[in-house]
Amino acid sequence: MSRAAAIETPLEHGRREDTGGVQLSGIRKSFGSLDIIHGIDLSIPEGAFTVFVGPSGCGKSTLLRMIAGLEEVTDGLIAIKGRDVTDLDPSDRGIAMVFQSYALYPHMSVRDNLAFGLKMANTPKEEIERRVAAASAILKTDHLLDRRPGQLSGGQRQRVAIGRAIVRKPDVFLFDEPLSNLDAELRVSMRIEIARLHRELGNTMIYVTHDQTEAMTLADGIVVLRDGRIEQVGSPREIYENPANSFVAGFIGSPRMNLLKAKRVGRQSLTLAGAMIEAPFPTDIDDAEEEITLGIRPEHLTVGHETLAGRSLAATVDFSEYLGGTQYLYCQLADGQAVTVEYRSSVPVRSADPIVLSWSPQMTHMFNGDGMRIKPTH
Amino acid sequence: MTMTQTARAQTPVMTGSIATTAANEAAKAARARRKRNGAMAYHTVGAAIVLFFLAPFAIAFLASFRSGTEGMTPPLPPWPTTGFSLDSYRSLDTFGAGVWQHTLNSLVVSLATVVLTVAISLLAGYGFSRYRFPLKNTLFVLIIATLMIPFQSILTPLFIILAKLGLNNSLFGLVLVYVTLQLPFSVFMMRNAFDAVPKEIEEAARIDGARDLKLLVRVLLPLVLPGAATVAIFAFLNAWNEFLAALVLLSSNDNYTMPVLMMAVRAGRLGAINWGAVQAGVVVMTIPCLIIFLLLQRYYMRGLMAGAVK
Repeated sequence: MSRAAAIETPLEHGRREDTGGVQLSGIRKSFGSLDIIHGIDLSIPEGAFTVFVGPSGCGKSTLLRMIAGLEEVTDGLIAIKGRDVTDLDPSDRGIAMVFQSYALYPHMSVRDNLAFGLKMANTPKEEIERRVAAASAILKTDHLLDRRPGQLSGGQRQRVAIGRAIVRKPDVFLFDEPLSNLDAELRVSMRIEIARLHRELGNTMIYVTHDQTEAMTLADGIVVLRDGRIEQVGSPREIYENPANSFVAGFIGSPRMNLLKAKRVGRQSLTLAGAMIEAPFPTDIDDAEEEITLGIRPEHLTVGHETLAGRSLAATVDFSEYLGGTQYLYCQLADGQAVTVEYRSSVPVRSADPIVLSWSPQMTHMFNGDGMRIKPTH
Repeated sequence: MTMTQTARAQTPVMTGSIATTAANEAAKAARARRKRNGAMAYHTVGAAIVLFFLAPFAIAFLASFRSGTEGMTPPLPPWPTTGFSLDSYRSLDTFGAGVWQHTLNSLVVSLATVVLTVAISLLAGYGFSRYRFPLKNTLFVLIIATLMIPFQSILTPLFIILAKLGLNNSLFGLVLVYVTLQLPFSVFMMRNAFDAVPKEIEEAARIDGARDLKLLVRVLLPLVLPGAATVAIFAFLNAWNEFLAALVLLSSNDNYTMPVLMMAVRAGRLGAINWGAVQAGVVVMTIPCLIIFLLLQRYYMRGLMAGAVK
């Protein structure tokens, strides 16, 4: 892993101290007796674009709202730029937030929406005008300044919402699923815009999403959360290529990684769907007959017609999705396990066709019974 | 059959236009005729209903301009037959302490009721909508439940309480009673209004540094204005038209509100009823209600719709 990536990647607390960005230590949150966040230690370097990603209800939004100060922390400390902000009011934390629903003030013009925070802070009038002009120039919303939010399109509203954040000149930008309300095309262009913004402003940004494309494309570092716990922290490439466990492996990547139930037989081989295959790498645990999960991404499976002993599996095509450049085949193995295959050849494949799947061992992961990745022993 | 052939058999195909010109024209004409007949029936019925509702106002308005002697007779026909005159308004002014005094009383009571009701229900609605506290829903239901108590039944206790406070025969005491009666509906209305405001807007304002009263006045009030307008209209109309409590709680002539005055006018003097004065009183009582409604109706309509559709 290159040095730059290591610096830009958020770290689980304890590995490295960084006083510039956002520090979370021992963060817990419970509503009554229900625990939502179970102790999170995270250090987000200054200037990094960090994405919290996870399924619904994993606590990613709650965590963001705690950093913003909209949600009280049950236990733990939050520091921004080395300053303890755990008990500070949201407006005193040096943060700005962009909401999924934009949350513009519908009764104010765009200009007043942008200026509202500065007015509340008793900023001099010329300064307000200057900053509003600067922000709307960055986002190209100059011509909209006198309109009301109700007269804007979804994309324009989100621009204004981002503008409202820029005007505050925050230390940290917080984005709570900002693109979820936009249509597919706008989502892509706004995503690029946010990336450009990060490059221009260079601020620390924390971005919550359940869309892994956004996570992969925007992030310097991804934090994968599940049930209020961090599952893995790393650069997009690390997360994709070296998932720490089967949850991360299945969550990141679309279509998701095939997670196949298999049994280990000895050090070198596995049984999968009734066939004996080679293990991707030898393991030195002698406990024979262990249930494991074999993880192979759809793009790493190759469709052929010839059986290679120990390196291929027979499957039947259930149905396929044609996407133009590529095609996804939804197949079944001999024992009924579902497998998704990315298929790029122009030779047509029909439903109920028997095919043979093969793969390269380097691109294959093994996870033990607890879902943790089994690493090759060197 | 290969895959491509299967796909072709199930693909829609573009065709030429099938409709022939003549048949098409005939269908078009029939459609237009049906539409015209429907519109005519719709507007005829609508106009009839509007006339039905406007007639009482028109009758009272016209009858109030009959001359003195004509005004003493029952208003049939209701329009002035011997010329336009303001006699009825002059004779209305001879009742009680003069019509200006009573109108002023009514205005003071109604406007004070509006201000107090809006202020209290705004805060209560915000509290019920946004804060979590023990017994919140029980308390809310309890407030709403008071709507089921006929207020005539608590008039005597209210009278005693106000007397103990030294507020009987005072307009302020009357205002307090009206506000109390108005609050359950108003709190309910304002809670709904606040519920309809997305939480994120409030959170955005908190991040922008607006707190407490500033948040309420600068950000939230404009958003719940329709609800507040509805509450204001109801408070005004009910306070303006209320008769029984005003009659029981006010004892001096100078303090009477318009409805109490109107009873005196309608009872007549020595058995002789001045119908002209009655109609003039009706007109005088209607005007402020109309003004308030016309001023606020834009918000009022939106207020009733609040929360119906997102």
